[in-house]
Amino acid sequence: MPGRARIIFHIDMNSFYASVEMAYDPVLKGKPLAIAGNPEERRGIIVTCSYEARRFGVKTTMPVWEAKKLCPQLIIRKPNFDRYRAMSKKIFALLREYTDLVEPASIDEGYMDVTDHVTDHPVRMAQQIQQRILKELDLPCSIGIGPNKFLAKTASDMKKPLGITVLRKRDVPQILWPLPTGEMYGVGKKTAEKLKQIGILTIGDLAKGNDIQLRNALGINGIRLKEWANGNDHRPVNPEAIYDFKSIGNSTTLAKDTVDQTFLLNTLQNLAKTVSARMQNKEVFATTISITIRYNDRTTWTRSQKLENPIQEMADVYAVSKQLFLKHWNGKPVRLLGITGQDLVDKDQAFEQLNLFTYQEIAKQEPLLETIEQLKDKYGEDIITKGVKKYRPEGQTDTGFNKDFLMKK
Amino acid sequence: MRFFIQKERLIKSVQDVIKAVAVRTTIPILIGIKIDADENGVSLTGSDSDISIRSFIPKEENDEEIVEIVETGSIVLQARFFSEVVKKLPESIVEIRLEDQFKTVISSGNAEFVIHGLDPEEYPRLPQVEGDTHFSIRSDLLKTLIKQTVFAVSTSETRPILTGVHWTIQNQELLAVATDSHRLAQKKVLLEPASSGLEKDIVIPGKSLNELIKVIDESDETIEIVITDNQILFKAENLLFYSRLLEGKYPETSRLIPTNWETSVTLDAKDFLQAVDRASLLAREGKNNVIKFSIEEDGIVKISSYTPEIGTVEEKVRGQIKGDEIKISFSAKYMIDALRAIDGTEVTIYFTGPLRPFIIKTDHDESILQLLLPVRTY
Amino acid sequence: MMTKTWDLLEKQQPVVMRMLKNMLQRDRIAHAYLFEGMKGTGKRETAIVFSKAIFCENLQDGYKPCEACVSCKRIDNRNNPDLHIIEPDGASIKIDQIRYLQQEFSKKAVESEHKVYIVVDADKMTVNAANSLLKFLEEPDGDTIAILITEQIQKILPTILSRCQLISFQPLPKDEIIQQLIEMGISPDDAPLFAHLTNNIDEAYALKDDEWLLQARKLVLKLNEIMDYRQFMDTLLYIQTDWLPHFKTREEVDKGLDMLLYMYRDILAVQLNHEDRIVYPHQLETWKRKALHLTPVQLAQKISAILEAKKRLNANVNSALLMEQLAVKLQEG
Repeated sequence: MPGRARIIFHIDMNSFYASVEMAYDPVLKGKPLAIAGNPEERRGIIVTCSYEARRFGVKTTMPVWEAKKLCPQLIIRKPNFDRYRAMSKKIFALLREYTDLVEPASIDEGYMDVTDHVTDHPVRMAQQIQQRILKELDLPCSIGIGPNKFLAKTASDMKKPLGITVLRKRDVPQILWPLPTGEMYGVGKKTAEKLKQIGILTIGDLAKGNDIQLRNALGINGIRLKEWANGNDHRPVNPEAIYDFKSIGNSTTLAKDTVDQTFLLNTLQNLAKTVSARMQNKEVFATTISITIRYNDRTTWTRSQKLENPIQEMADVYAVSKQLFLKHWNGKPVRLLGITGQDLVDKDQAFEQLNLFTYQEIAKQEPLLETIEQLKDKYGEDIITKGVKKYRPEGQTDTGFNKDFLMKK
Repeated sequence: MRFFIQKERLIKSVQDVIKAVAVRTTIPILIGIKIDADENGVSLTGSDSDISIRSFIPKEENDEEIVEIVETGSIVLQARFFSEVVKKLPESIVEIRLEDQFKTVISSGNAEFVIHGLDPEEYPRLPQVEGDTHFSIRSDLLKTLIKQTVFAVSTSETRPILTGVHWTIQNQELLAVATDSHRLAQKKVLLEPASSGLEKDIVIPGKSLNELIKVIDESDETIEIVITDNQILFKAENLLFYSRLLEGKYPETSRLIPTNWETSVTLDAKDFLQAVDRASLLAREGKNNVIKFSIEEDGIVKISSYTPEIGTVEEKVRGQIKGDEIKISFSAKYMIDALRAIDGTEVTIYFTGPLRPFIIKTDHDESILQLLLPVRTY
Repeated sequence: MMTKTWDLLEKQQPVVMRMLKNMLQRDRIAHAYLFEGMKGTGKRETAIVFSKAIFCENLQDGYKPCEACVSCKRIDNRNNPDLHIIEPDGASIKIDQIRYLQQEFSKKAVESEHKVYIVVDADKMTVNAANSLLKFLEEPDGDTIAILITEQIQKILPTILSRCQLISFQPLPKDEIIQQLIEMGISPDDAPLFAHLTNNIDEAYALKDDEWLLQARKLVLKLNEIMDYRQFMDTLLYIQTDWLPHFKTREEVDKGLDMLLYMYRDILAVQLNHEDRIVYPHQLETWKRKALHLTPVQLAQKISAILEAKKRLNANVNSALLMEQLAVKLQEG
């Protein structure tokens, strides 16, 4: 792609859950509508709401009773996740009629690389897509158009609902640079706080920031954000990207078929090391571990185990894999072994439910935890984390085959 | 065997016992309902070998004749078929007559059905009502006792003993404990003075107790409980409910319950429950939602949760706080279950540390205790 | 399924039944047994009778089930709620079947002090199922007795094997099988051969309709005649034209050699005055004649030649060559 300008669309569904409800029940159209967990009672919070409701000041996470006070005629519905998923599938199917290069980013947004598919003008193509989604699926969306994912994403956010916005690289200094960093995609509250500490307040400051300072404050992410602030983003639109996030795996073909249990378990241990390191690099935990055994007759077995608590440590990954292997290996010569961590969750979503009969072992860590809390109170959240976060080179696999082989369905 | 019986009473009894009849079974006789007619009346029994229900229809009730026994005897009849037949009979009186072998004739008015029954001798024998251990308990108290503990049993078969509720009877007291190893529910009940000499240690399958609650009739005032080596029997006026007991030793739990505490927080139970409920609403698709609980200054407790779809939900609840500050995380579902079981206006939570079990009690009911294990976050 | 009484089984498996009797009488019943032995040796029937003895309400002499009480009757009709029999569902015993067993393990018995589990063809448990069962065998609860049954002991996981008391069932005595076959209507001329070809009465009985076998017997006896009265070249011709087309697979050749072997053993038996033990009774007159012409040493040489041929057959020697070489040795001496 280098040397040639790309045309990237970012499609962002407008108040998706509420819009889907309206598509199912047209009576709701044009009315203030909110989706909340428990509509019967006045307790519960707003998960999302229509633009009509937003006009009254109703916001996400607001308690229902408060929303009702602001907007007494507010209609409240329960979420129907199955419906949303079905609709999401239809949207992406429609987008794929234009190009195979469609990357779903979540249930209600995605990127398209239409560089090779634009026949007349990108805006007219975007209008056509927007109109089709509106007519065929009865759903509104905003589309951002840019030379890369970052600018397209930023553009789609600029006009809602039913907006189409073009953001060129040359527009960046004028449109983005005056804004505070917190407005930028990829910069959260914590990151904005850290940038502030090194004197970076606006996106313009970030664009001109000092590399070394940024790296010290934010690691490799600091450099990437600076690139984005300058309107540069080389990430390709990757239709497989969603799978990358769902699993991390590694497999190896043995030098020769073997029934040597010690050797097989050693191999499994090495795979566990790689998978664990890769999960640590991505800062994710697995809630399911699966193993693959291919025998010398080429029959391949995949068996998985759902876990009570998400895991990341090599010892944990190995323990589960070993158990799975011993349970399912039929004793025949093995040609290939693989381990995959699935149903990955972010670090801040990972937790371990303690057990009444075993908690004492873990409770020993309480004094350490207390010290960390004290330091955090004094110096802020990120002053310390258990174990130094560092990149683990074990996660690199030397073969090109580290793609998550199990996801190829 | 030959008797005449009021149809409505027969239908009611069949409905009661058919709940226990095995749908799929490796023991062929259990597809049937056993009918016993003796001098006192007629009994029907259904069983899947884990749970057995026996319904008794007395000869007379309030001076009204319900059953007329011509000849005593027993038979086992295929349950589904028998139940269909009885419902379809035209008149209000039914005659059931055993002919040679196990051929049974059921007639009412002009209708007559012949069912080939099974040998009643082959039916499992249930323990005698006069067991070695028996005592009475008020039925509403029994129901509460069960409801406040049974929800905490384990649903996983990895440690089968935890799928039951542990009952210890001694010193005229019944202590019921259930734990799935992530939370524990405990309830103490004082028994009638007559049971002061009893000592018993049993584990009753949670599944049986859940069935039992459905079967206990509002009109029954007291339930008599008989415990034998293999089974427990709950006896209401005309209904007997048997459950097999679990095999093995229940883990020692009393020493796992903390006796001292470093922080106590007293909260309005309803406000707190609703705050936890709101924060956990976004827990979807079976994922356990984790709630963060922390003490702010000035008698304020902060409850928060995070989900990627929505972000952070945060809420503050007023409470009386004693002792050290604490930050702790726990499963919203377990907390909601515990608060619902306690059902008090005010609850107090006693903490000993962020990675240690904590207990929830209420001042106006000393007999109940709920314990939760926290979750460790990364 | 046919049920057999203790007395009948005692005739077939005297050692096993004596062991079980002792255990019952001394009240020393183990937690887990492995009944091992060839097909048709009465393992399953013994497991049932043993279970009856455990539950019987009217035990005779402290070990023999009465076969008349409700408890014994319920076992015959599979209505004893504390006796569970697990059999392969299709080709294997599935994890679900073992899970059912585990659930039963976790509960107390329904009405008695004991729970008994019989796992038929225990070698057919999947590895997964076997490991689940192992967990119970490691920590048995209460008065639980497991009886595993197998024809292929080498396929039982060593970890399971080491936790069971092993009870080996011997192949039935031939006399016993012959006697039973005759009672079942097999002619006294056929019964000895059938009994020698298999240990299983039912299989032996089925041989009466086995066309291949009946033809094979004719060919074996005919080979003997040719070797007695004809030139060696005729024997070779017979092997080419008649023998080899019939005995094709290695198993068939092996069976043919066995049948030849029985013939020479018969002649030896006649010489030793054991005429009642011969496999081909209708050939008695022929054997008597031959017994006069052959010395015991010659006979022993022929028998060992056949045994040698059987050994070489297992080493994959070409069967035509094998038979020709054997014919030389049988005919020359």
